[in-house]
Amino acid sequence: MTTIWSRRLRRAGSAGLLILAASLPVSGAMAETIRMWTFLNPAGNAPREKALAEIIAKFEAANPGAKIVVEPQVWDQMTPKFLAASRGGNAPDVIWVITDLLGDAIKSGSMADLRKLFIDKWTKEQVADYAGAYWDQCAINGKQYCLFTSRNYISVIYRADLLKEAGIDPATLTTWDKFTEAAKKLTVKDASGTITRWGFGQGFSEAQADPQMMIPATLAEQGTIFEENGRARFATPAGVAGLKLQTDMITKEGVTPKQAATWTPDDLIEQFSAGRLAMYTGASVRVSSVQAKIGADKVGQMLWPGNGKKPHSPAVMAGWAVGVWSGSKNQELAGRFLDYMTGPEGDSIWVTVGGQAPTLGTTIKSLASYFDKPGNGYMTVTTEGARDFGWLAPIDFGVGGYRQALNKAAQNVVVNGMEPKAALEEAEKEFNRRNNR
Amino acid sequence: MRPSATAYIYIAPAFALLLFVLFSPVIYGFWFTLFRIEYGAPTDFIGLGNYVRLIEDPTLLPTLSRSGVFTAACVVFTIIIAMALAVWINRLPARTAFIVQMVVIVPWIISAVVATLLFRWVFVNDIGVASYIIQLMGFDAVQPLNNPTGAMVLLVAVSVWKRIGYAVLVLLAGLKSIPDDYDEAARIDGANNWQIFRMITLPLLKTPLLLIAIVLTLSTFNTVETPLVMTGGGPGDATRILAMDVYERAFTNYDLGSATALAIIMFAGNILLVMSYVRLARWQA
Repeated sequence: MTTIWSRRLRRAGSAGLLILAASLPVSGAMAETIRMWTFLNPAGNAPREKALAEIIAKFEAANPGAKIVVEPQVWDQMTPKFLAASRGGNAPDVIWVITDLLGDAIKSGSMADLRKLFIDKWTKEQVADYAGAYWDQCAINGKQYCLFTSRNYISVIYRADLLKEAGIDPATLTTWDKFTEAAKKLTVKDASGTITRWGFGQGFSEAQADPQMMIPATLAEQGTIFEENGRARFATPAGVAGLKLQTDMITKEGVTPKQAATWTPDDLIEQFSAGRLAMYTGASVRVSSVQAKIGADKVGQMLWPGNGKKPHSPAVMAGWAVGVWSGSKNQELAGRFLDYMTGPEGDSIWVTVGGQAPTLGTTIKSLASYFDKPGNGYMTVTTEGARDFGWLAPIDFGVGGYRQALNKAAQNVVVNGMEPKAALEEAEKEFNRRNNR
Repeated sequence: MRPSATAYIYIAPAFALLLFVLFSPVIYGFWFTLFRIEYGAPTDFIGLGNYVRLIEDPTLLPTLSRSGVFTAACVVFTIIIAMALAVWINRLPARTAFIVQMVVIVPWIISAVVATLLFRWVFVNDIGVASYIIQLMGFDAVQPLNNPTGAMVLLVAVSVWKRIGYAVLVLLAGLKSIPDDYDEAARIDGANNWQIFRMITLPLLKTPLLLIAIVLTLSTFNTVETPLVMTGGGPGDATRILAMDVYERAFTNYDLGSATALAIIMFAGNILLVMSYVRLARWQA
């Protein structure tokens, strides 16, 4: 009996080895695979997904044997999952980190120093190409933990054709009063008095909360919305004025529908694409998707109006910081891929295929004629905005939930009739309590 | 070897696997909650600190009572409507009954997110179908999501619509198992339809009803996709329920300590519900 089993085992082992040998690449080179977590699916049809697919294909073609495996994730769960996976020893080699949690990801020791991997080999000119607030966000104690591959500038997206038709030049909307007047002019009623198009769309839903106009209005006055110890600084005179400005668009000016209390960014895009909104609060990274729906020349992005002292208020900037997992066994390849994805060639693909604003100074120069084309002007606007009128949430402490808290305050004003100050005091308390501050 | 011991040996591997899959995350989760969580990892031992912090949170009690109201409303309405539908379908000719069953089951088999989005698009804005029909009837446009009560009513409606197919199937199976003789005998004795339903059908459906009540209670109490997609918890806190609170603590505030503590408490609540089901089932036997 034992002999028969031994023979069978030997035969099975030989067959297994044959199969293994047959599955190896003909060249004999071992394939090197790295895993990447991102919310983009390279098999998808959105512009940024196509851009990622192209970047991966080009990198793999230039690096025989290298294989990039993308494991698409739900965007808001991705970073907490990464922190847990890092601790469990099973994190992906390349990770996209949300800005709200970037500080935690760096402090946890989960992200490798990119200087050691590839940045130290760069020339001074290459380093200078990345200079700016986003670079500084990842630089701590002489180490560079990430590079931003997606820069998001959240301000006002507008229908270029409708503004032109109404004789409004978006560049002239440099005060809140001018902006409100423009929104009124763009609000259209039919013969029965029913509003068929709203001047300015906003979305206060806590689901997928985008920062709304009260934040730039507040930042323009007080520079930040947090204390140095991370406690919220919402219910200040500037904050109250900002929230009143935001909610007055519904209750007083009549340029934003009351449904804004429950609208999400997706709802805003649908309404805007259907011609029901002339302007809305939205993210630059999604402009290309909107343009794909209604035409590139019809969609533009403008900077927020200023407070009278400056022409524009600081917009909330966000984005995706990409890094290499400190526990990765393939840090060299992961670094090489990150270098390519965020480098001149990758950046160019993100811009031309993905519709993203450029991250490198050299891309702005090399694609100058591209930015002059109709529909691409928003990239120049947001690049200028990111340089002069942008605000990145601090990473010294976690700020998760601040947009949701402020959106809830707006809901409480519009739906429950709360006073802006009381609503902001409640938001402040909740934010501090939830963040143990 | 006694037969009973052999039976235990046969079921031991499956039972061990079940215990491992079901309870190991709970045991790990409970251990996790006994520490201060920083950057997703446990650091200092703080005992029940995460639970104390949770209990001290003034929003917890309103969220718990909202969850109770939401769950109770969903279970009661689902059972009442499903019972009416099951009785009706049971009396239809076979072919028609099959078609109606298919229609009723569809919401149950489609994804919760898709089902909720469908509802959301009907009611979310002033160009939705619901608003159009209401205006066509000469009434002012209604925006239920902008009203705390309306949002909760809509949330209950979606949850009932989504789960009704399951309840109808179970009740229909229960109805089919009741012999026709009982009905015929009651009619000979002069009972009307209502009396037959109340005195014969309903008592014989006690077990499937109990099963449905428990399953619906658990699935509604633990649902997160529906409120997240439908209302985001708003307006204000009007539709914020416990499962959503766990999600927000974990993925919005990144407070894994209190999120896990709340999830453990909810798990204990679920176990209590299952135990009460087992007790009631024994009483039935």
